[in-house]
Amino acid sequence: MKGRVSSAVPFRVAGTMLVAFFIAGSAGAQTRRFERHFTVQGKPVVSVQNATGRIQVRAWDKPEVLIVGQRGSSNVEVDTEQVGNRIEIATRVTAASANSEVLRADYDISVPVESELQVRSDSGNVVVDSVHGDMSFDTVAADLALQDVEGYLMIKSIGGSTVCTRCAGRLDATSISGNFQLLQPTMDNVRVQTSSGNILFDGGFMNRGIYVLKNYSGTIEVRFSSSDSFDVRATSLYGNVVNQAPVVPDRHNMPAPRNGLAKSLFGTMNDGRAKVELSSFNGTIKISKRE
Amino acid sequence: MSPLECAQFERMLEQQPDAPLSAGAVAHLEDCVDCQSLWSDMEAIRTAGMEWGSDEIEPPEYLWASLRRQLESEGLIRERTARRGWLLVWFGTAPRWAMAGASISLLLIAAMLAAYHVSEPKSAAVLPMRLSISAVRPQVAVADIGKALEGDVKDVFNSLPEGNPVLASSLRENLGIVDNLIAVCEESVREQPDDPISRDYLYGAYQQKAVLLATATDRSALEGQ
Repeated sequence: MKGRVSSAVPFRVAGTMLVAFFIAGSAGAQTRRFERHFTVQGKPVVSVQNATGRIQVRAWDKPEVLIVGQRGSSNVEVDTEQVGNRIEIATRVTAASANSEVLRADYDISVPVESELQVRSDSGNVVVDSVHGDMSFDTVAADLALQDVEGYLMIKSIGGSTVCTRCAGRLDATSISGNFQLLQPTMDNVRVQTSSGNILFDGGFMNRGIYVLKNYSGTIEVRFSSSDSFDVRATSLYGNVVNQAPVVPDRHNMPAPRNGLAKSLFGTMNDGRAKVELSSFNGTIKISKRE
Repeated sequence: MSPLECAQFERMLEQQPDAPLSAGAVAHLEDCVDCQSLWSDMEAIRTAGMEWGSDEIEPPEYLWASLRRQLESEGLIRERTARRGWLLVWFGTAPRWAMAGASISLLLIAAMLAAYHVSEPKSAAVLPMRLSISAVRPQVAVADIGKALEGDVKDVFNSLPEGNPVLASSLRENLGIVDNLIAVCEESVREQPDDPISRDYLYGAYQQKAVLLATATDRSALEGQ
């Protein structure tokens, strides 16, 4: 009997400690969670700076900005400020750590549909859904997913990739090794440049639209439908141009490139209402018919 | 102080910004706080402008060398003056400023590459033979900058925050990509020195390196505090 009692004691102690750890962990998680509300009028400008972690921005129909987040540890603090319709959110490292999980902060932000965004992130993902307004993104390795957004979109990334689904308005994007995918866009001014990344444009070319896609290596692919109307000018200096578009010789007297080595295609499809410029240093350019 | 006098004082500054103040203006300035503020602002702008002008970027070393040879051959100068290299002046300071300078210099070189025309007769006619620009000259300047920057680039990359290994590895990886692009584009320009498209790509590659270095500097300064 005595033996049984003594063997049960360690289990009780371990159980108590487990419960204590659980409670302490839960309390820690609660204290690391934060929530801020800001009432706004009209079109707010929301600025987010977060080095590591996820940033998710969604539109809702309230005149209010709601920030719900989770800090990775007490090594990071979240500073927020509202000045009129300008709201700034920044993650601040209070104690250095070699562990990136400790320094991360995740944000779920709800904003009015008509909002302007300025996002800066180094690593982690950025997701923006259904926001209408000008946006700028400055990222290093963070991937960016935009859907149903509208406005002037400026993207500067180093290695992060971008997927833009049903985006409208205007896009100006650069990256070094990031890929860009523009799916079902309704944009009339698109300028995308990446060095070693791939570019996919899968959508209609709008009348009077200008589409400039450029890379050094990798693939540039644009997909057209038979009703699209555009002038195309595709040049790969040391790579290839693969074309499925039934273009006719250019009717608008666009000058041909002077380089004799370059593979190039100059032509017009239908009335040539949009202007499409595709250029690559040694990558492949594909002009494909949409299935 | 009546508004008329203030208006007169402002008009005088506007019309003769560098002229000494008249006795009346000095008297007005002594009594008018608003105009004192305006005057001190003007002084600050003037001082900043002078400092800015004294800091102007010097032309590349090869241009100086050509000019020096020309002047020596014409007997206008006899010996070389002791002169500290402009690269050392620029890059012998703290890494952050060096990197900022690096970004700017890369852009300048890129702009130079984009702007000059190797076989343009007009340039040859205007410039003396020894000062005419050839395709290899900018590469010499680029090589010099590359050597001078190597250590500073390492310093900045080493000062990136330890807590974000993804950031550091992404920047390093992309630096490699851009350096490789520059090498490939330089080779292309060497093969086809008259080709504007090759030069455009080289220009773009330098621009990207400038952006990358600026980003690395920004991140190291911001997060390293």
